[in-house]
Amino acid sequence: MLDKPASALRLRERLLDSERLMEETGCYDGITELSLRNQDPLKFETLHTKLRAYCVSAREMARRISASPGVREVGEMVVAIYTPEGDAIALSNGIMVHVHTMSRFIKWMIKNGYEDNPRIREGDIFANNDAFIGTVQVPDVMDVVPIFHEGTLVGWAGAVCHELEAGGITPGGDVCLAQERFTEGLFVCAEKIGENDEIRRDYVIRCERNLRMPIYWVLDEKAKVASCIDMRESVKQLISEIGLDYWMKVSKEFIEEGRRAQLARTRQLTVPGIYRGHTFYGHVTAGKPGFQPLGDPDWLYNIPIEMEIGTDGKITMDFEGTQPWGYHSMNCTPAGMDGGMFVTLTQHMNFEGLVNDGAWMATELKLPHGTWTNPDNEMVATATSWALLLPAYGVFQRLLSRSFVARGYVEEAFVGQVNSPMIEMGGESQYGTPFGMAHFECAAAGSGALAIKDGLDTAYVGWNPESDMGNIEVWEQSMPMVYIGRSIVPNSGGAGKYRGGCSFVSTWLINKTSHLRLHTSEHSSRVFDNGGMCGGYPAPTCQKHRAVRNSNIHELAAKGEPLAHAPGTDPHVSDYERNIGGDHVVVEGPYITAPHKQGDIFSHSYNGGGGYGDVLERDPVKTAWDVENGFLTREAADQVFGIVLKDDAEGYPVADIDATAKRRAAMRKERMAKAIPVSDWIAAERGRVEKADFAPEVRKMYASAIKLSPRFTKDFSDFWNVDARSIFTPGAKP
Amino acid sequence: MTSYSKEIIRDLASGQLPWPQTRRIMSAYKDDDRFFKMVAVHQDRVPWKDPILLPVSDHLFICQSGDERITRCECGHSFGDYRKNWKLKAAIHVRNTEESLREIYPNSDLPDPEWMEIREFICPECGTLHEVEAAAPGYPIVHDFEPDLEGFYRDWLGKPLQP
Repeated sequence: MLDKPASALRLRERLLDSERLMEETGCYDGITELSLRNQDPLKFETLHTKLRAYCVSAREMARRISASPGVREVGEMVVAIYTPEGDAIALSNGIMVHVHTMSRFIKWMIKNGYEDNPRIREGDIFANNDAFIGTVQVPDVMDVVPIFHEGTLVGWAGAVCHELEAGGITPGGDVCLAQERFTEGLFVCAEKIGENDEIRRDYVIRCERNLRMPIYWVLDEKAKVASCIDMRESVKQLISEIGLDYWMKVSKEFIEEGRRAQLARTRQLTVPGIYRGHTFYGHVTAGKPGFQPLGDPDWLYNIPIEMEIGTDGKITMDFEGTQPWGYHSMNCTPAGMDGGMFVTLTQHMNFEGLVNDGAWMATELKLPHGTWTNPDNEMVATATSWALLLPAYGVFQRLLSRSFVARGYVEEAFVGQVNSPMIEMGGESQYGTPFGMAHFECAAAGSGALAIKDGLDTAYVGWNPESDMGNIEVWEQSMPMVYIGRSIVPNSGGAGKYRGGCSFVSTWLINKTSHLRLHTSEHSSRVFDNGGMCGGYPAPTCQKHRAVRNSNIHELAAKGEPLAHAPGTDPHVSDYERNIGGDHVVVEGPYITAPHKQGDIFSHSYNGGGGYGDVLERDPVKTAWDVENGFLTREAADQVFGIVLKDDAEGYPVADIDATAKRRAAMRKERMAKAIPVSDWIAAERGRVEKADFAPEVRKMYASAIKLSPRFTKDFSDFWNVDARSIFTPGAKP
Repeated sequence: MTSYSKEIIRDLASGQLPWPQTRRIMSAYKDDDRFFKMVAVHQDRVPWKDPILLPVSDHLFICQSGDERITRCECGHSFGDYRKNWKLKAAIHVRNTEESLREIYPNSDLPDPEWMEIREFICPECGTLHEVEAAAPGYPIVHDFEPDLEGFYRDWLGKPLQP
């Protein structure tokens, strides 16, 4: 039974009271004055830094317990310390998206009567991976433990790891084939999984019997519990030093300070106003094995975002006009949307480290009911929410960046994140045992460009600001595939004065298995799911998969013949097709096919980021370096950037500055000659719009947006001077 | 309080500042006098005299032109009232065929032109490519930014604009 908390109120009442105070005063928990900070700022800041140190050190310790290369190598973990009501006070580095999703989990338990049943006691361990309670997707499993001090609940310690295997319909964690909740894998719904600091044996047995690779999940549980106990004991020690009353007050002041700091930073770095942007995601599954005919096999989603920055510094993001949820794995819950906002804010604006839930409280998300951002059906699948979250928060980064450019802080402008397609696999391992795994080398994509330099090559994803692709040798220990190539993909960054960061492509030989299931997710088809900025182009994020079944690679190797280690730069014929015999396969969108076996070859390319600025302003010298090092092709340098390269005595590319200036002047003229006034274009396009002369998936996208959003309908109708409703939803009730 | 010279801000904006120095600026507390210094840097760069009120893109500025506030290209071309979408007064080139998309993506897989087009918004006077939209055919042109100019100058900068 919960012992009496410091305020003598039960947790539920205390939580409701805290929310009421926020509503009434506009300040967290009704804290209108930072009195402890004012009394002794040094003590205040030292304590906050100490709490952060507890978190960082607990996470590093726990990573050594994990067996998962995702956690050990890539760092797919975050830990945090919370108030009794579940608001984050301090957090570690890592996948910070979950700091706020865990907050939702704790609040959900409190609001659902957990104090009475199953009760909250010292030594209890609670776990959750249900996104409607508070996480992003099924592989993000979180554990929290209450912190008691002399019988009083004084906070929570929490930890999340991204699991590499979740036991869903397809192996891995991002269960790409899940079309409803019931095929996503093992759910733990705000469950008490341990007591007296020990994980229950029956829970471990459930994991062992429902996962393809339970060693990852179970050891991650132990890692998380260890980190929570470590933080708990540190906090208890701290309270014995500073006193309970001071702790209860200071922990909340930290959050109110975080809220005020976020508002102040917005006022410092941005410009108030309304910012708009959009992106798209295309999904192509027609004819692919395993998809149930529950909805359209191929579809196109629009993701429009309107961001308002008020003069008080509050940021509001509105997703009105986007698409309905669907029978696919890419839906997202409000918890996931919050998480996306939190991880973007923390890396984009709160770079001083002392960040907490207060930052999130200075923002607001408007998530239209019934859309993929806020499904009105809790049976939907959310296993690959990131497929839509990443493009969406890439737009958010560009909108914020526009405000940084306007305010003069050009060094902070960042074209942002792109989707990071993930490979997942399972079947028979190279050791002859069953296995399942997600391959996390995707944690090192290319970033968008900055307003003052090129983007980061193979070094960034939005969901983990400490991107790390992991060591090849470690991945090879975990899967029945060996690398025969990993290389930069030329031109994979969007073109611009500053190009987006480039991505890489891996090529594997499937080895020592007769049954390997390979799947991919978070991979948009037919459309770019990213954008450029200020004249920069989007990165080419609609790449196809290439594989060779029954290859003759062993024969070629025995003869010492050349192999292929990357697809090459000819979009029509890959180097695999040129050099390797066998059955060549090119797959658009998610890779879902029959199992592979040893001797097959599989390749997967990741995404680069969008570009910034006009391509004709790109530095020719830098471009020559890019060509020399494989980041750009000569073709692109010439054709896209207008840079004339010649060879030096040793055959290395050198920019011809004079010839480049002439070529660019000609390209600029050509550009102007080809362009027409926008008003003429609108007049010409209007006829097409009136006839809805679009691909069926495009028409469906408009019809869905119009059904859900009066604002989208009005904006569309006003722009084209048409009645959008009668064009796309004839016969529908107004 | 952190502060940098106008020369440093100029080099930062043009991408010419050495990376170690840039990195220090990124890691340090922000310089609160940045806005007006950056405006001065832009003002030195443009060949016209209208006072710049707000940069809105790499080569686009809202400026005070007589009694009007307009969006102006660095070359001097006016896109009209800053509250209206400047893109509607621009020139446009749309890439909605494989051939035209291939010009920008010579070595990659292409989007399906039936699902997605590239729209290039160009200054009709100097040919600068100001913005690129990747959108489904038929998608309305987006109005990127409607700044609260008065609120910004009044409440955040403490220097209200003259009506």
